[in-house]
Parts: sequence; structure tokens; C-alpha cells
Amino acid sequence: MRSALSLAGLLLAFSPAPALAAEAPAVAAGPVPREEVQSDLSTREISIQSNFTGIQILIYGSVDFSQTNAPDQSVYDVIIVIRAPSRPLVARRKERVAGIWINTPGKVFPSVPGFYAALSTRPIRAIASDETLKELGIGLANVSFGRDSKDDSEEETYRSAVIRLQEKKKLFQEHDDGVAFIGRSLFRASVSLPVNVPIGRYTADVYLFRDGQLVSKNQSTLEVNKAGFEQMVYLLAFQHPFVYGVLAVLLAVLAGLAGWAAFRRD
Amino acid sequence: MFQVYLPIAEISVNLVVMLGLGAAVGFLSGMFGVGGGFLLTPFLILSGIPASIAVATGANQIVATSVSGALAQWRRNNIDFRMSALLIAGGVVGALVGVFLLKMLREAGQAGLIVSLTYVALLGAVGLLMLTESLRAIRRVRAGKPASGRRPGQHNWIHGLPLKLRFPRSRLYISAIPPLVIGSVVGLLTAFLGVGGGFIMVPAMIYLLRMPTNIVIGTSIFQIIFVTAVVTILHASFTYTLDVVLALILATGGVIGGQFGVRAGQRFRGEQLRAMLAAMVLAVALRLLLDLVLRPSELFSIAPIMAGA
Repeated sequence: MRSALSLAGLLLAFSPAPALAAEAPAVAAGPVPREEVQSDLSTREISIQSNFTGIQILIYGSVDFSQTNAPDQSVYDVIIVIRAPSRPLVARRKERVAGIWINTPGKVFPSVPGFYAALSTRPIRAIASDETLKELGIGLANVSFGRDSKDDSEEETYRSAVIRLQEKKKLFQEHDDGVAFIGRSLFRASVSLPVNVPIGRYTADVYLFRDGQLVSKNQSTLEVNKAGFEQMVYLLAFQHPFVYGVLAVLLAVLAGLAGWAAFRRD
Repeated sequence: MFQVYLPIAEISVNLVVMLGLGAAVGFLSGMFGVGGGFLLTPFLILSGIPASIAVATGANQIVATSVSGALAQWRRNNIDFRMSALLIAGGVVGALVGVFLLKMLREAGQAGLIVSLTYVALLGAVGLLMLTESLRAIRRVRAGKPASGRRPGQHNWIHGLPLKLRFPRSRLYISAIPPLVIGSVVGLLTAFLGVGGGFIMVPAMIYLLRMPTNIVIGTSIFQIIFVTAVVTILHASFTYTLDVVLALILATGGVIGGQFGVRAGQRFRGEQLRAMLAAMVLAVALRLLLDLVLRPSELFSIAPIMAGA
């Protein structure tokens, strides 16, 4: 049902382009219509259930009033940024004290995205200036962690450690060739959400660039939630922790009794 | 296709691997009368479960294996209930202290270190002690003398303490203070390390209280049910690190393994069991020590900060 709706959305997004292209010569005297980017996701809602091992989502969109003349000569660049809600995080470094590696107090980063993926048609630094990218928070080098690094090399070491560790868990991703144009105005990208994705409302920002300038922007949202039994367990554990603990013990006792009853020899 | 998503740990694990891990630990539990947590917790961490979740979930799974283990021991009349009551009373107090200590250390980022150091010190000391003693006993048996070093008339400083009680099942007349102290130390360790505490309770009862080995194993496994149950509830309530889905998978494997373990244990002599347990305890201690001393490949670590903490 949902995929059918998405497909309909895709067709709607796609259909105006040829019609407008046909009109274009007629309005040539007036101002050239400004490009606009439209986008949507293959799924608006992800339910994490017991068989969840990660999921791939498709982000697609089109450029309205595309001024690309030939399919293989696109004048546009697209960058897609997917972000999960930010959370505070502490990064610690181990140091050797008396022969043993121990954690030092570390640095707190007040808001680190639980998931961050930047997908683009080509390397982002070739698409726009560093200032523009920084302002928009595009690219792993420009993600805000809610803390100004002020060219402090110590701070930078911690920051890059956070990025490195998140990348290792596939929670931070950057794909230079993640977005592909199909024809003059349609583009698509896919991103893999790993099994350990945090829950919450994700945003997918689609930025359309032309000659290094941001010409249009579009945002869609994605809800990631636990569902069914998993959601029940999760809610119980965090909202009624005592009841959850008692139930866990009762289940364990029952499992123990069942095991004993099944194996007794008398 | 055998992947199962864990709602609290927020990762996906292989069902077969986790069942096998539970069964292996359950087998050891039944065989030696230990909870097996000192093996389960490190194994869970090695398989990618966050340390904090491994501790709380380990305690929950030990409830299940010790219930079926204790029933098997009860059928053999190996449980000293009066001794258990004292151990449990001490254990609950120790568990409360342990849960809050762990919560504090975790917030300071030092939980992993202190937990590992405690493991190394305890397992190293207990392992060495048991190994030397059991090897001596095995040599004695080979020389044709009785295996037990227990001499009825022998007294140590424990017997000078007040509040003496009679423990008919263990054939002891000793003070209530040592069982209470042993119980509380073990309760602390259960909450802190995610272990049943058998590896310290068993030698303490054998060497300090001089209880017979078979009664020690039954009594230890019986009291572990209650202390791990309390620890499970405390962790669920205060650290939110209990994953019931993982615990149930481990418990299913553990209960089955435990039954075979009890039978396997009957085939060996007390001193042989102690020597095997000692070797295993030392191996785990060595592994943990290496992790602390060798240069880690990644010096940095990140941890979420709990809202409100």
C-alpha cells in the first residue's frame, strides 16, 4: 500500500517536467523559472522488529524547470543529508598509567547526530565552497556536535575520533557517488541504515547546487520506531522498569523450572 | 535468517550462537556449581554486546540456570537452607551497594577498568588458591591418603566468633557472621560484575567455613537464584541495561546445558572438579589482564550520556 503511494508520488514528481519543457519556448521572453528540487523517500516509516537487520532506503527526487540540455550533461549537483536526532555523547581517550590503559575524563559533545549520512553526485568539496558546506552542516567534517572546536588541535583529535568510531559502526557515512541522475531531472540515491540505528524522527535534506550555489532545498522526514513485541519490551523497560525487572525474573524462573521438568529422571 | 534483534541492546545477534553460548555456560554451571557469569559476561562482551548490558542480562540468565541447577541439587539433598538464608540476607545488602557503585563508575567512564581489574584480582587469587589446594589433594589421593583435608577436631579463628548457630545439614556449629559477610561480598560482586559469585563463594565456604564440597555446591547454586533475581530487578530499575530477549535466549540454552553439567559433575571427584575450575578461572583472568596491559588498537571510546544523569 505504502509502496504504491510512493510510486504514485514518483510519477507525479516526474510528469510535470516534459510538459514544462514543451512550454519553455513559449515563455522564453519572460524570466527563466527558477529550478526547484522535489524529493521523497521509499518509506516514511521504519518499524524495528525481531527480524530487523538493517534496512536500505531509497531517496528519489527531480529537478523542476531543469535547464540541463542533454541527459549526460547535467549542470546540477545534488547533496542529500540524512540526520537522526542528536544526543549528548562523551569521548574518552585511554592513557597508560602504571602499565595499565585507563580512560581519561574525556570531552562531552552536547549534540551528536545518532545517524548521519551525506550522499552526493561528486565529492562535496568540488560542489560548493567550504563556507557554504559548513553553514549547511554538509559532510562529516562540517557536522555540528554542539561544541565549537576553535582550531584547538586537542579538540580536533577528539572530534575526529568520534567521527571515526561512528563511521566504524556505519552510523556516519559519506558517499561521494551516492546520488545518480537519471535523465535530465530525475535523481536517486540509496542509503543503508545499520541494525544499530537509533530511533526517532530522521530528516532527509536534499540540496540542489548549480555552479557552487545552493538553488533549492527540500526536506522529507522518516520515522524510525520499534514495533510489536520489541516496542512493548522497550516501553516497559523504560517506563515501568521495576515491573519489567520482576517479569524478567519470573520468566527466568519459569525457564529454569521448565528445563528441570523436561530433564528430570525420577 | 537466525538473526534476532535485541530491543534494549539495539543490535542483531545470531540465535544459534547465543543459544550455544548459553548452553556452554549452563553446562559449566551445573558441573561446578558456579553461576557461570564470570565466563558469560566476558563472552557476551566479546560477541559485541555492550558491557553494561552484558552485566545485567548475565544476572538475569543466571536466575534461570540456577533454578534448574538448584532443583537438581535439591533432589540430591545437597542444599543447606539455613546457611542459604544467611547468605541471601547478606547478598541483598551487597547487591544494593554494587548496583549504585556501578552506576557511579559508569557515569565517570571507569566502569570497564574497575570491573576488569576486580575480575583479574579476584579470579587470579581464587584460581591460584584453588589450583594449589586441589593439586595437593590430588597428590594425596595418588599417595593413598584420604582426599579431604577436613579434620573434625580442627578449629580456626572463624570458630571464635559469637552468634553461633547450628547447621545440621553441613554438620557445622559456627557463627552467623562469616556467612553474612560472605553473602554480602558475593552480592556486591553479582551486581558489579554480572557474576553469580560461585567462584568466590564455593572456595570461601570450603576453606573458611569448612563445609563439605557437595553441600557447598548445592547451597551456592540455591542462594545464587535469589541474589541474581534481586540484582536483575535493581539493574532494570536503575541502569536500564537489562535485555530480556537476550536473557531468555541465553537461559534456554543454559537450562539445557545445566542439566548435562550436573550429570557430568557426578563423574568427577571433588578435587578434580576444583582443579578444572581453577584452571578455567585463571585463563579468564589472564585474558582480561592482557586486555588491560596490551596497547589497545583504538585509544578512543564513545559513550552516550543518559538524559538526567
